[in-house]
Amino acid sequence: MESIVSCRDVTKVYREDGIQVTAVDEVDLAVTPGEFVSLSGPSGSGKTTLLNLIGGLDSPTRGDIAVAGRRVDHQKKAALAELRLRQIGFVFQAYNLIPVLSALENIEFVLQLQGAGRKERRKKATSMLEQVGLEGMGDRRPAKLSGGQQQRVAVARAIVSDPSVVLADEPTANLDSATAFSLMDLFARLNEEKGTTFIMTSHDPRMIERTRRNVELRDGKVARDEAVR
Amino acid sequence: MKTLALLLPLAWRNIWRHGRRTLILLSAIAVGVGSMVLMSAILNAWSDSMLNSALVTLTGDGQVHSPGYLDDPDVTRSFEPPASLVKTIKGSPEVSAWAERVRVPGVVMSERASLPVTLVGVDPEAERGLSFIDGAIRKGRQLSGSDDRGIVLGHHLAERLQTGLGKRVVLMSKDLHGGMSELGYKVVGIYAASARSTEMRYVFLGLDQAQKQLGLGSKVSEISFMLHDRSVLPGFLGTLRREAPQLDIKGWKDLIPFTRALLKMNDGFIQLWTVVMFIALAFGLVNVLLMAVMERTRELGLLQALGMKPRGILVEVLLESAITMGIGVLAGTALGGGLVLAFHNGIHLGGLSAGSEWFGGGRTLYPRVSQGELIWPALFVWVMGTLVTLYPAWRAARGLPTDVMNRT
Repeated sequence: MESIVSCRDVTKVYREDGIQVTAVDEVDLAVTPGEFVSLSGPSGSGKTTLLNLIGGLDSPTRGDIAVAGRRVDHQKKAALAELRLRQIGFVFQAYNLIPVLSALENIEFVLQLQGAGRKERRKKATSMLEQVGLEGMGDRRPAKLSGGQQQRVAVARAIVSDPSVVLADEPTANLDSATAFSLMDLFARLNEEKGTTFIMTSHDPRMIERTRRNVELRDGKVARDEAVR
Repeated sequence: MKTLALLLPLAWRNIWRHGRRTLILLSAIAVGVGSMVLMSAILNAWSDSMLNSALVTLTGDGQVHSPGYLDDPDVTRSFEPPASLVKTIKGSPEVSAWAERVRVPGVVMSERASLPVTLVGVDPEAERGLSFIDGAIRKGRQLSGSDDRGIVLGHHLAERLQTGLGKRVVLMSKDLHGGMSELGYKVVGIYAASARSTEMRYVFLGLDQAQKQLGLGSKVSEISFMLHDRSVLPGFLGTLRREAPQLDIKGWKDLIPFTRALLKMNDGFIQLWTVVMFIALAFGLVNVLLMAVMERTRELGLLQALGMKPRGILVEVLLESAITMGIGVLAGTALGGGLVLAFHNGIHLGGLSAGSEWFGGGRTLYPRVSQGELIWPALFVWVMGTLVTLYPAWRAARGLPTDVMNRT
């Protein structure tokens, strides 16, 4: 099967105060559609950097990255924004909802960026809110939602436009265990029912256990790549 | 349109996210714009006052002379007013007042002193609504008519001559035939003018009496006129010039070039004030917006991560500043306009009167602002204020969205 995400010889070198730091070092990775992948490893192992590179939020020093058959590396900003809009959904550790928009409006926002009409947006966003178990909370602003609820809204926002892949950076790190497990269950359900491809970073073995494939990074390199269940 | 529909509500809500900070910023813009409006209204009032003072000090909106009189106001440059010209001036609905005058240099002598003056022969009735002398008598009386045999002196001149009401002074001047004419007059009135120099310079006689003393017959030195509407002056001057091409017919701008220059300078001050206020505003605004953009790096990065193009970020930040500036400018215009309205009965300058008078202004200023003076500076501040935020907007648009992934 053709990869939905492919990284070949990807390297990212940062320079900080004149010191060269290799955050990602010659990583090769291929993710096929419908996979549920976790990127694990200790702090500083390069998980978030690799996720940034796949999402086109940063550009590699060396190597090729493609998402849904389109090159991500060294693209212009506008082209990358378009790629993210159509092909990639993001879930962040700190939820990162737009504070001045309600839960429903946050979900609608991506559809609005895509140019969807008002009725279509509202219908899809409402349905998505129900799917993540937040029916009736659409008009609440993020400040009026708990951390777990905010993260569910973020998940709904990430998948509402049916992206090729959802990239989640430590999505459970700020949540209590029960909420974190509930969120992982939601990911698993969406992965199974909708076939959504997930790549998430985590250093929590309990969360990693709930994914299907784990890629462990150490010092920017792939140390282990194995099926979880 | 779709982009605007997306960004406008977002921009509006972002503006009110930190309500107190926005209100402080709006207040600063409003006070800045309001003070610009008020300042230009006061400078306008000062210009009006200066111009009115100059016009009523024996200038009028325009004058008719013999050629060369303005350079050398000699008695020999008197002229017989052409009947057709007088008929035109008299019959023009544009003219609110007009008068013939004799105005020549002379010397006034009392028992104690003699001083150079300008002898002005007037018809007191005709001067009503044309020159200051009509309402300027502080002691004694006004000249009763053209044939009054009395003289009216300025307050300071009378002091310098050490003379007063009821006393006699001698007025000496060159007559039409080249001889010196010398005649004694009883001081019947003392006038006060807005400027000391005016009081020292002009002495007033009846027109007939002046013509008799100088042997002028019915000749005069000048015809002065005032119009109901100053804007028709160029056309009216053209009509008069066609009527009497042999005479020198000038409008106030050519008659009092110093005042004209001061008015021009005043206009320059208004523009300078607008620019200075704008620069002060711009620094504050850029600072606040830059802070607002920098503290929202993560949020703007998020918008990029979600797929908003850099152009969208630029428009978003510009929209926020355009709306903020728009509200601030509107509030400032309303504030300035309100203050001008509140002072429409005049601002008495009190202790500052002397300074204003020195520049030819009056003791009371009547703030005035035109529609254009309300709209154009407001538009300028709004457009420029929005444009100066291009820098923070550009910074926001070129930032990398990676921040959102790394921060908790």
